[in-house]
Amino acid sequence: MATSTPPAPARQSHKQAEPGPGVNFGRVLKSEWIKVTTVPSTVILIVSTVVVMVGLAALAAWAISITQQDLGSSGAPQGGQGGPPADFDPASQAWEIPSSGLIFGQLLIASLAVVLIASEWATGMIRSTMVAVPKRAPALLAKNAIIAIIAFVVGAVSAFLSYLVAQPILAGEDLDFAITTEGVLPSILNSGSYLAFIAIISMGIGTLLRNTAGGVVTAVALFFVVPVIIVNLLSGLADWIPDAARFLPTNAGNQLIAISTESDALTQFQGGLVMGAWALVLLVASLLVTRTRDV
Amino acid sequence: MIEAQALSKRYGAKVAVDAVSFTVQPGKVTGFLGPNGAGKSTTMRMIVGLDNPSGGRVTVNGRPYAQHRAPLREVGALLDAKAVHTKRSAYNHLRAMAATHGIPNSRVREVIELTGLGPVAKKRVGGFSLGMGQRLGIAAALLGDPHTVILDEPVNGLDPEGVQWVRHLAKGLASEGRTVFLSSHLMSEMALTADHLIVIGRGRIIADAPIQSIIDGQGKARVRVRADRPQDLLGGLAGEGVSSQVLEPELVEITGVEPRRIAEVALRERVLVYELTPLQVSLEDAYMQLTQTEVEYHSHALPAAGEAPALVEGR
Repeated sequence: MATSTPPAPARQSHKQAEPGPGVNFGRVLKSEWIKVTTVPSTVILIVSTVVVMVGLAALAAWAISITQQDLGSSGAPQGGQGGPPADFDPASQAWEIPSSGLIFGQLLIASLAVVLIASEWATGMIRSTMVAVPKRAPALLAKNAIIAIIAFVVGAVSAFLSYLVAQPILAGEDLDFAITTEGVLPSILNSGSYLAFIAIISMGIGTLLRNTAGGVVTAVALFFVVPVIIVNLLSGLADWIPDAARFLPTNAGNQLIAISTESDALTQFQGGLVMGAWALVLLVASLLVTRTRDV
Repeated sequence: MIEAQALSKRYGAKVAVDAVSFTVQPGKVTGFLGPNGAGKSTTMRMIVGLDNPSGGRVTVNGRPYAQHRAPLREVGALLDAKAVHTKRSAYNHLRAMAATHGIPNSRVREVIELTGLGPVAKKRVGGFSLGMGQRLGIAAALLGDPHTVILDEPVNGLDPEGVQWVRHLAKGLASEGRTVFLSSHLMSEMALTADHLIVIGRGRIIADAPIQSIIDGQGKARVRVRADRPQDLLGGLAGEGVSSQVLEPELVEITGVEPRRIAEVALRERVLVYELTPLQVSLEDAYMQLTQTEVEYHSHALPAAGEAPALVEGR
């Protein structure tokens, strides 16, 4: 409009702006990437997640080799007081070490995902975001994509580093294993997928609630508290409760990262599908709500 | 150009913006004036699609804001100086916004220089003063070198130098042929900056006219008179629809009649007049008059509509 009104001596930059086309998804992705990497606490949280996950895996490796040592010296694996349970199999437990940091890593990633979106509401940044991308859905999708990618990389890299760190510790008891051992490499990669799903579910919660504290509490409740309550308190009430509990995100996720699954349980793939369904439902819900919400 | 047609916003039972229609023309600064809570910000938020209208529509350069391919290049908006993540630096905030439109970092540095943010650009926004926050908001609004600039209370928290800078900026942008839409509740600020004024009260447009015609149209002539027998003078003026206020025994303020008529009556009544000063009606007075009567606008047009035909034409 302004360019068509005669007296406008448009500045040079006015002209430069013309050829540059508008918003596209790649650009929105880049914008979201800049946002994630330019808040120091976010970067610190991501790095600490890797450190904590690898550290936990090292501890787990150490615990397994200690137990193995005790087993070897006492020579009485069966029913020893305070000893390991009868079905203790140090070798197969060792295989799960790469993914052992997830239990904590998921907490940090869930918090991060909630914070990334809820902090925009808290600070008012969301208005800048939605003025720049008024169609809104691309901004939200890009944010989900970025956190999912970060979570995947954090999960897979941590699991791989955990594998590497654990080998020398396990080697003392001859428990070290090749990465080609059946199920190990998929479990390492699926640790990434696990965290990516956790991230999308959490970001969906954060988007719906628009509140950092409420979002983190809700996510932790869904991932930690609800499964524990069901297993410990409610599972006796009715047969269907433990049955349904298999479909909770973290329970399904444990199947996703399992080295091997029991015949009556969800397979790795099915576990992934269930988690993916949770992520998809929350993503769609948050997209629908964001479309019409006043910012 | 911004065009609103019967634009409404309701929050539950409360009507924030009540079927307003107006056009903001390019090439001049249009002031958007109204008391707090009149609906200024809500209207501006609807223009850039942050709030969904309950009724009516608003377009910028012919289209709803969200349907532009490059919205930041069409419209730059400062709606809320605090629409920034407090832990991010000003530079990175602008970089993230620019990235959505492929705007190069050179332009980011340009607007930082333009708004005088250079020394603090790498600092966390959380530590910014209100004035610095305003400058950052203006920098973000100018990123895409937009044809239309919307600034909600831009001088809020600025120091005198900053206020003057915003004034020059707004006029400069308008002189380049851009549409500049500026809200304020400060009438004095509008008098200095705006060419055209849209006055809003309780969600309705009260006036939509060039600023001079609002001043002229609203203010009735007010004259300060010193005379030896003011009561005789007022007696002679009785029946001419004047109102008066006796300030001192020999000093009155007479409203509603021209100085010449007062002098004629004084001559007839043989009253000695030793001061006859026409008082300038300020925009502030005009504004107070407008908003005082706003309640009547449910049923009437402006009382002064005859004198200033452009008034309320937007409705």
